[in-house]
Amino acid sequence: MGVREILRKWGVTDFQVIDKKALSEITLGASILATGGGGDPEIGLLWAYNVVDQGKEILLIDPEAMPDEALAAIAGCLGAALVLTEKPPNGQELFWCYDSLRRYMGKSIEAVVPPEAGGVNTPVPMAVAGAVGIPVIDADGMGRAFPELQMTSFYIHGVSPSPTAAADEKGHVTICDASDALLTERIIRNAAMAYGGISWIAGYPMTGRQLKDTAILRSISMAWDLGKRVFNARRKHLDPIAEAINLTGGYRAFQGKIVDIDREFGAEKTKGFSLGRITVEGTDDFKGRTVVVDFQNEWLNLEIDGEVRCMPPDLICILDPATGEPIRTDIVRYGYRGTVLLIPAHERMRTERGIATFGPRYFGYDRDYIPVERLMESTSG
Amino acid sequence: MEAGRTVRNLGVVGVGNMETKRELRVGFDVGGTFTDGVLMCGREVLAKAKSLTTPDVTGGIVEALEAVMTKSGANPAEVAMVSLGTTHTTNALIERRNLNQVGIFRLGAPATTAIPPLTGWPESLKEAIGGHELVHIIRGGSEYDGRDIVPLDKKAIEDACKSMKGKVDSVSITGVFSPIINDHEEQSAEIVRNVLGEDIPITLSHRIATISLLERENSTILNASVITVMRRAVNSLKAAVRKRGIDAPLFIVQNDGSVMSADYAIDYPIFTVASGPAASVRGSVYLSGIEDGVVVDIGGTSTDVAYIVKGFPRESSITVNIGGVKTNIRCPDLLSIALGGGTIVKHKDDDVIELGPESVGYNLVRLGKSFGGPLLTVHDTAVALGKLQQKLDVFKTDYVTHPEKINAVPKALIKNAWVAIKTTIEEVIDKMKTTPEPVPAIFIGGGALVVPREKIIGVSEVLMPDHFEVGGAVGTTIAEIGAYAEGVVDLDIEDRAEAIVEVTERAKDNAEAAGAIRNTVEVIDVEEIPFTYMPGKREKIRIRVKGQVL
Repeated sequence: MGVREILRKWGVTDFQVIDKKALSEITLGASILATGGGGDPEIGLLWAYNVVDQGKEILLIDPEAMPDEALAAIAGCLGAALVLTEKPPNGQELFWCYDSLRRYMGKSIEAVVPPEAGGVNTPVPMAVAGAVGIPVIDADGMGRAFPELQMTSFYIHGVSPSPTAAADEKGHVTICDASDALLTERIIRNAAMAYGGISWIAGYPMTGRQLKDTAILRSISMAWDLGKRVFNARRKHLDPIAEAINLTGGYRAFQGKIVDIDREFGAEKTKGFSLGRITVEGTDDFKGRTVVVDFQNEWLNLEIDGEVRCMPPDLICILDPATGEPIRTDIVRYGYRGTVLLIPAHERMRTERGIATFGPRYFGYDRDYIPVERLMESTSG
Repeated sequence: MEAGRTVRNLGVVGVGNMETKRELRVGFDVGGTFTDGVLMCGREVLAKAKSLTTPDVTGGIVEALEAVMTKSGANPAEVAMVSLGTTHTTNALIERRNLNQVGIFRLGAPATTAIPPLTGWPESLKEAIGGHELVHIIRGGSEYDGRDIVPLDKKAIEDACKSMKGKVDSVSITGVFSPIINDHEEQSAEIVRNVLGEDIPITLSHRIATISLLERENSTILNASVITVMRRAVNSLKAAVRKRGIDAPLFIVQNDGSVMSADYAIDYPIFTVASGPAASVRGSVYLSGIEDGVVVDIGGTSTDVAYIVKGFPRESSITVNIGGVKTNIRCPDLLSIALGGGTIVKHKDDDVIELGPESVGYNLVRLGKSFGGPLLTVHDTAVALGKLQQKLDVFKTDYVTHPEKINAVPKALIKNAWVAIKTTIEEVIDKMKTTPEPVPAIFIGGGALVVPREKIIGVSEVLMPDHFEVGGAVGTTIAEIGAYAEGVVDLDIEDRAEAIVEVTERAKDNAEAAGAIRNTVEVIDVEEIPFTYMPGKREKIRIRVKGQVL
């Protein structure tokens, strides 16, 4: 059955055809919202373009259009950011995962939902949907990117990541079916390390009802809008950061030059993440001030002159001031200039269970979560 | 040497000792049409000259050098430094001309194949370097932890080399995780040399850039494609200088506007690909005193545009576009277009079809209508409109020798061409601007005289400073000196911050030894590459610095 037949069966007439231009806009927006992670958009886009070039249709539908009982799953990449940038896929990995998962469950998966916002983890699942012939749901599991499998709105609102299938480029597939989500994360993470640093995964099977109740809804539309605005700002020589703030309600917290990148080298093979800390020296209005940002695949925690100004799950986006291009943790280099944009996390991410799953304490900071709005408002004036 | 506990010096971009009495500097800017030469004492222009760039490059440099030495009566022994900027590599890439046929190896299958080499490249550039036929994705490459992805398929490399025999001028090899572990790249290079001979230039990706496979591979292929063009320029400079009895260190302007030793530049032309425009920016800022605006350097073959902020070209964003290809080479944000004084105006009757991209280059005086030739060029358009009134003393020939040929060109065609040229310049300036407000523009280069300068949209005023026609050559002589140092450190034993300070100090020592003033030396790049396949926390620290010479 092809994607159009599925939509006909569901009685869905309202959908958007995602062409290459749309892919480039969505990917730019998603890579900005990915808080320094989510993968190299160059890899995600070229991969997705291939699928479009093969004549496959990528159709995006609203979450409400998906029947309550139909089954959706995520597809994407999990592991160390630096490894993905250096070892792109052969393109079959996710199909192997998808097939294994379908065979294991004995059910067909009728829709794909991207796990997170990211240069790879948004366009690639969309392209997988196109290649397999099923629709993409306009939603994701974070509204940003996070390093671990259980760090999703799906999980904190009751959906299990299991069963999840993880593949490498040689066709090895690991299926984990565990009731404990943290254990699933550990097993899939170890598979990633055994594979050389990254796993390509399909998992989180969920019904349409579960998706509607737990996902960050219409987040692809949001990324698309953001991408369009930034492209438009570039064309018209407008400030791309201001455009992003208008749409997301974020804060322009800092501007500066990256003067140190202290990577915890080796974490890729022992922990399965890219870990470290960057130091940014202020320029322009921020001269004389210093920002320190910790990262674990994504930017996690930000301090200005020693005072914390953003905690997970709120978004830390570091963008090239002229182009709005995101600076990612895997490619950040000495001397890059960036504007720091802080964005409040989606309300579905800020529940008590959310803060326990991906708040400051989970990442080892000995402090309670304070929303970025409060942290930033206490500094203004 | 064993991997030690202390930071060791692994590399120096070094030059000979400077003697204080040697105060003269010679600078060249080799363009597609003209070779400009200047002789400077400090920041004063003592002599300047323009010669036609010759096909062998050497002839043009010899002539310009001879002219500046004769005009000034300078003693060759007083020349302390010779520097060169060139748009040859950029021109080759934007005109898709004189590029090497590149045998392309990627060591990474069965991973990476979703995005094969040359994906996203402009079609014309792909074809110009030999295209997909010369691309081979080989089983091999490394994992982050040093394991092989799969063992290197040496037989496949050998077979591929045999199929390339006689078809390639140069080879690029990019292995997954080679910045961390380069075994597979080195082994492949050995096989390539065995089959294709010792003389074939091979570019290995781990010498070019850091982690990020696709961008590093692009940079490596581009490097391989312009290696012959750059070698010719550097060898020409060496020959010309030797012939004139000058014994001074030779430098090439790098992308960041500082200079590197010419011998190093030969194998790594990608680091000097923006050499010409980078020198123009320095020259323009110095000659005009304008620190914020756009620099438009119009040569005979191409025009380079840079946006300057506080006296320096704006740093380009995270991915850098060279010739339409995404790379991770550090480079200022520059845009080069194929428009210069010698650019051919393609037309059908009175309508302009296209400006270039071909230029008559150094054949302007043979092929341009002003000189009795058959082709209409940008230069001829300016002549027809009476924009050129007097010959500059740096030009040997008059600007027109056959006015009757110019008079025979239809007035409507001339008008259309002039509008097309103006629009093209306005578009490229607009692309580089980051604000909608008009900004000052500095027009330099020999071609500045033959393009529209009035009522340019987006520009508040057009300035043409003294010596504008040799601005790039002036820029090469006042460029900063770049240097680097490397050290291996074990972070289990040593403090990272201290190790960085130590390597930085040695990089500064190297810059000083090369003639830079110590307290002006600043860090421009810090790179750390982990040896993740070794026990402990060993890593290589590489620090690049640059500093002023005057």
